[in-house]
Amino acid sequence: MNTYYAANLLIYAGIDIIACLALNLQFGVSGIVNFSFIVFQAVGAYAAAVLSLPPDTANGGFQHYVGGFQLPFPFPWIGGAIAGGLLAIPVGFVVLRKLRSDYQAIALLVLSVIANTVITNADKFLGGAAGLALVPPPFSDRIDPNTESYQYLYVGITIVAVVVAFAVVNRVVNSPYGRSLRAMREREIAAAAIGKNPVNLKMTIFIVGGVIAGLSGAILVGFIQLWAPSVWLYPETIILFAAIIVGGRGNNIGAILGALLVPVGFEEVTRLLNSNPNIANLGPPNFISALQWVLIGLLILGFLWFRPQGVRPEPRRVFEGGPE
Amino acid sequence: MSSHPTDAARPMLVATDIHRHFEGMRAVDGVSLEVAPGKITGLIGPNGAGKSTFMAVLAGTLPATSGTIVFEGEDITHFPAHQRARRRLVRTFQLPSEFAQLTVLENLLVAAPTNRGDSLFGALMGKGYWGADERRLIDEARGLLKRFGMSAKESDYAGTMSGGQKRLVEIMRALMLHPRLLLLDEPMSGVHPKIVEEIQYYLQDLRAEGLTILMVEHELHMVERLCDTVVVMAQGKVIGSGTMSSLRRQQEIVDAYLVG
Repeated sequence: MNTYYAANLLIYAGIDIIACLALNLQFGVSGIVNFSFIVFQAVGAYAAAVLSLPPDTANGGFQHYVGGFQLPFPFPWIGGAIAGGLLAIPVGFVVLRKLRSDYQAIALLVLSVIANTVITNADKFLGGAAGLALVPPPFSDRIDPNTESYQYLYVGITIVAVVVAFAVVNRVVNSPYGRSLRAMREREIAAAAIGKNPVNLKMTIFIVGGVIAGLSGAILVGFIQLWAPSVWLYPETIILFAAIIVGGRGNNIGAILGALLVPVGFEEVTRLLNSNPNIANLGPPNFISALQWVLIGLLILGFLWFRPQGVRPEPRRVFEGGPE
Repeated sequence: MSSHPTDAARPMLVATDIHRHFEGMRAVDGVSLEVAPGKITGLIGPNGAGKSTFMAVLAGTLPATSGTIVFEGEDITHFPAHQRARRRLVRTFQLPSEFAQLTVLENLLVAAPTNRGDSLFGALMGKGYWGADERRLIDEARGLLKRFGMSAKESDYAGTMSGGQKRLVEIMRALMLHPRLLLLDEPMSGVHPKIVEEIQYYLQDLRAEGLTILMVEHELHMVERLCDTVVVMAQGKVIGSGTMSSLRRQQEIVDAYLVG
């Protein structure tokens, strides 16, 4: 396996793990069905891109976007995380306060579609349908991004981000606060009846999840160096939901496992199948890629039917000193 | 200083002219009620009388269409449920409302209002910050579990308990908030007779300790045994109140509800 392939795989795995940890906190632990999750990753990516890009008059002015601040690492990543959190405030304010949870899910799905359509058509804002290209990766002014050592560096900083995200999410989930979140997920009215403020709990976790999702987008755009509406269509959120359902709702290790099995694993299998000409030429064009979506749907249905708790179920909390 | 009556004589909760309408249907239609401290007040009436709706309005689960609710001298009419619970006005539900995927012990711990780890900041600070609170509350919760004979179940998921055990979990969960007033909505419904006896014993015990309870209950023998005062509702209105024996002597109440 060559270095570039391995680094590519590890970085994608890291990004998907961070995203799945955030979605698990929102959906698995707190019961917020955030069908617009990918929008928060996207806003983090756009923010990081415009923070690291030069003004759009550079490169012959071939693309148009707001900003262009040419900030060095880590500011684009920090900015991406903050953007994800900031977006969560108005969205949460509209969606989470009054609507019942099933309507919240529908509203968030619709938001995802609207956001993508608006950004696609607002071509002077963030590059429109063509998106943003030539996004400078972190440290690119000091190290050539096309070298092997740069790949190791990017893997390294991605791993640091994964560790930080895991530590934050783990502390929240395994605390008394995490217990309140799980109680809200189980029965919101009863949680309110014991003094929990469901709106505050949901808003807080929506923002925390938005920050982590934004960070994952910033890492991704720094690596692939481009970002466009076609990479954050709403079905991308469904892949992450599939990862949580397969891995185990409410279990952080399950979220990591799900990230490795579904977004990373499926993507790789599809790519490998497509690289074999005998298989790639089966059926109509893009048959294998389309089949991937069918399989993801079947995977979700299969797990919900036969093993709803996922590969790694939520752990039962047993306290020391209790009965054997 | 105004001349307030003494705390012992002053009602703990005063609900005045409470209305709750659902698209023209008057589920609660001008109910006024006072709950005396340290007593068990019963709320009885036929199905559809509006008892549970009234309890939900008192607890803040449903907003009142009109009327006022004063709890310990404070107007709480517009407070949401969680703010009323923090003032230690705590309810249980007519249908089991345990947190199914939390263990029995966790169901109790989650209700404790004084854990430093029960905020985002506290959670991020780590166990060193909230561990002492957690240990103290685990001891308190285990004390309740022992008292209610459920110590052996502490690590079981609450969703796997029987109907009666779920009722006990809910009562213990409410007690973790150190309530001043406990609203119990049919605590005996769907419960095995053996556990009914137990719940009755626990409620008497709690009253002896000075806890104030307002209880909706259908089983009239139980109401007679437990309640100091009984309020009768029918068709969204209060149609009488007093001791159970005095109510039995009022013909319109007997006709409306106490037949047999």
